[in-house]
This record gives sequence, structure tokens and C-alpha cells, in this order.
Amino acid sequence: MMKNAGRDVGGAPDIAVRQLSVWYNQMPALQNINLYLGAGQVMAIIGPSGCGKSTFLRVLNRMIERLPSVRVEGAVRIGHFDVFDDHVDVTGLRRAVGMVFQHPNPFPMTIFDNVAYGPRIFGIKSSAQLRKTVEDSLKQASLWDEVRGKMRRNAETLSGGQQQRLCIARALAVHPEVLLLDEPTASLDPVSSAKIEELIVQFKSHYTMIIVTHNLQQAARVSDVVAFFEQGRLIEMGYTQDIFTAPKEKRTEEFLTGRFD
Amino acid sequence: MLKIDKAMDQVTYVSMALFAAIWIVLIAIIVSGAWHFVQTHGFVSSVASFQWDPLQSHFGIGSFIVGSITVTLLALVLAIPGSLALGVLGSRILQGKWQQQFVRFLTVFVSVPSVLYGWWGLTVVVPGIRRLSHTSGYGPLSASIVLALMIVPTFSILSLNALRHVPESYIEGSIGLGASEDQTLWHIILPAARPRIVQAALIAVARGLGETIAVQMVIGGQVRITSLLHPASTLTTQLLTDLPLLPVGVPGHHVLDFMALWLLILMTVIVWLQYRLRGSGT
Repeated sequence: MMKNAGRDVGGAPDIAVRQLSVWYNQMPALQNINLYLGAGQVMAIIGPSGCGKSTFLRVLNRMIERLPSVRVEGAVRIGHFDVFDDHVDVTGLRRAVGMVFQHPNPFPMTIFDNVAYGPRIFGIKSSAQLRKTVEDSLKQASLWDEVRGKMRRNAETLSGGQQQRLCIARALAVHPEVLLLDEPTASLDPVSSAKIEELIVQFKSHYTMIIVTHNLQQAARVSDVVAFFEQGRLIEMGYTQDIFTAPKEKRTEEFLTGRFD
Repeated sequence: MLKIDKAMDQVTYVSMALFAAIWIVLIAIIVSGAWHFVQTHGFVSSVASFQWDPLQSHFGIGSFIVGSITVTLLALVLAIPGSLALGVLGSRILQGKWQQQFVRFLTVFVSVPSVLYGWWGLTVVVPGIRRLSHTSGYGPLSASIVLALMIVPTFSILSLNALRHVPESYIEGSIGLGASEDQTLWHIILPAARPRIVQAALIAVARGLGETIAVQMVIGGQVRITSLLHPASTLTTQLLTDLPLLPVGVPGHHVLDFMALWLLILMTVIVWLQYRLRGSGT
């Protein structure tokens, strides 16, 4: 019993998280998270290291299950996907929920094959169709002009920033509806980071996005809403402007102003 | 402190020089013996000839070269699927302490002496082939099977390490796109591990090529290779057989040096391939 890929609205889905808790062995990593993110919105997750930000992202596409002795409780809904339903189509879910990682991780193959990897996995064989998908995805990721005519080069010859945009193109090639970005600019220089941020702003309303970031200015620049996590709890969530100008919680204010222990 | 460092350096250099010297002497003995042989009997005529009768001065070693290459390559082909499967099992399927136990288990088989593999060949493989093919059961096929079983533990431990070296970030990238674990294995993990797996295969081949006793026990020992199912010999087994027949001083003794040189040549080719293929990897 597989669920439909949930893409009838022709746009991005909303995300609803209810009473989500996660344990590694017996250690709680997330405790009773409740939040709602509207379709096509960008949420930035901020908080100190080890607060559960990355864990939260990995719950949304069930990547968390690859780790041994993990326990997840609660419910997550992404559009039509009831993420932790036993009958959910995990492949379809991960296809719909693209992920970009902290360190650019292109596969050790050509630029073309990197972007074509996803479509090929999902059974597209026609080379004309693959070429079109690859070109479209690279254009969307603003990388096309830099790599056209170099499609047979190994992806590892690209610069770090280009590699990260390649990874974004690779994610876009399977037509996701949600993008999860796990500190996507943490290992990049400022110019490359700015390009990634531009992309995120461009993608707004086409994709629902969640970005984990340590860079508060970045969160302020790209997001509609901000969620502040601390020690596995969601301390506060609100519109970006409100959070940065008038946080309700004392802990949030201390974190934002750097008076944080 | 500094003095000790210096002394250690000197000990290292001296022992290195000593090793190199011994090694050069060994090679020189073989090469000079082989040189004597080639001068009287010719290089090409000995290699291209399949007639071996040292007492009548027929020194064709073609059969043994073909035998060595056939047995080793066939053993490799037989060993590849099982070794890769064990490598995948040990690196991707078993977790944590089971993984360690599995490596220990394979290591036990690496250290089993080859005479036991030969014994197993005599009691299981040879009778089995005999029943299936209505031949004596001795021959290159039996030798390859025994050799394959012998190299599987080494090959699979090396493959296992090769597969474990594939960065988790590649795997996450693939899984994150919606690929299944199997698709990730075939399209990402195995290709990424390929250079190291090729290296593992060549190390396994080197081991197989040099193996003597286990092969000698099941290959039959005839001096002319005719088929996979009929008795034959390899360079190593024939060296072993003819050592007592051609002691130092006997005319034709130097053919043994020539055969030893051929083993060295084949080994060198393997080592060279190892560097070549590794270099052309990622």
C-alpha cells in the first residue's frame, strides 16, 4: 500500500510536527516538538551545537532510521505523507524531500552523472530526457553557465561552492517539493555562501524549505520563520522579524545577543 | 633523546641495507642461473615449447606457464563473487560487534595452512570432479577450486576494508535522493570502492600464483597441459617436483632458475598492474 507522492497542488506542501521525540540509545535528542510550517515557506532553525537541529532534519526524510538504536515517537506530516506511517512510501518521501548536506558531497563521477543519478534511479533512460533534466536542474541551481561544455569532467574538480550548487542541482533533478538544508554554507567562503543564499531566496514559494544554520544573519536574510532549539526542545518559533526584534523567551534573547553559556 | 633518535635511524638504515643486499643476491642467483640456461637453450624456444623431458634435454616450460596463468586466473574468477558478497556482508549488513567478529572469523581462514586446503581438495574436490566428469579428478579445475577457496578469506577481508572506506557522505547523498540501499550499493558504493577492490584482487592473484603445495596435491603432476580436467602442472609445482631430479651440478639444473625467473616476471607484472590500475582509479 503506497501513498501517492502528494503533489496535486502543483506546489510545495506544508509540514506539521506533533509531539515529536527522538532518543539515541536512551539519550533524548528531541523532546516533544510541535510546529507547523506553511506551504512554500522558509524556516531557519537556529540554536547551539548539539541542540537537535540536524536530528530534526533527519527525522523529516527518515534518514534518522539509518542510525542504530534510534527511537522516534510522535507524528510528522509533510503534505500527503504521513512520514512515520508503516505503509508510507519511503522512497517517494525521500524523493519529495530533498536534502543538501553540510559538506558538499558530490559522487565521485562526472558532473552530468551526478545530476542524472536521481532520474536514472527512478527509471529515466532516454538520453534526451536526461540531458534536459540535467540542464534544467543546473540552470535552476545557477551552475549551468559555469559547467556547460564540461559535463564529462569529474565533479570533484569543481570548487567547494560549485560542488554545493551541484548537490542542489542533484536534489532538484528528482523534482522535490521540500528542501532540507543542513548548514549548507558552513564550509563555504562568503562569496559562495551568498550565491547559495540567493538560490534559497529564489526558490521561495516553489519549495518548502528548512535550513539549519549557525549564521544568524543568514537566518535573518533568507527565512520567513525562525525556530530556536535548545537541548532538544523547541524554545520559540515565530516570524523572522519578530524573533530578531522582539523575542518572547529570555533564552532566545540571550542566544541572539550572544549572552549565552 | 636526540641520541636515541639517531641510533634508531642508523639501525633502520642498516637493516634496510641488509635486506636490500640479501634480496639483490637472491635475484642475482636466479638471474645468473637463468642466463646460463638461456644461453644454451634459447629463451623463445624454451618458453614456446611444451615438451618437457629434462633427462633428454627437452626443456619446454610453456605448459607450466600456461598452467600457472590458467589456474590463477580461473581461481580469481571463481573467488570474485563470493569474496565481494562476504565483503558486502561484513561492511554493509553486519553492524558493530558482529562486524568485528566476522573479520576475526575470516582471519582464522587466512591463517589456515595451505596443506589443509590441499587436503580438503583431495578429499572433497577431486572425488567430486571425478564423479561429475568421469576423469581422474586431478587437474587445473580442481586446483583452481582449491586455490579460490584459499584466496577468498584474504580477498574478502581486503574487499570489506575497501567497501568500508567509501565515505558515508556518498551513501547519505544517494539515500537522501530516494535510492534504496541496494541501488546505493550497486551505483555508488561498489564503483567508489573499485580501485581498492582491484588492488585486493591483485593481491589475491599474487598469493594464488605463488601457491605450491595445495595446488600440487590436486593438479595431477603431468608435464603437458591438455585440458582443465586432465592432470597438468604449474611453474611452482614443477619446480617442487624437479628439485630432487635436477640437483646443482646436473646438466639442466639451471632450467629451475629460468622457471623461478618466470615466476618473478609474472609477479612483477601483477605488482605493476596494481599500481597502474590504482592510479587510474578515482
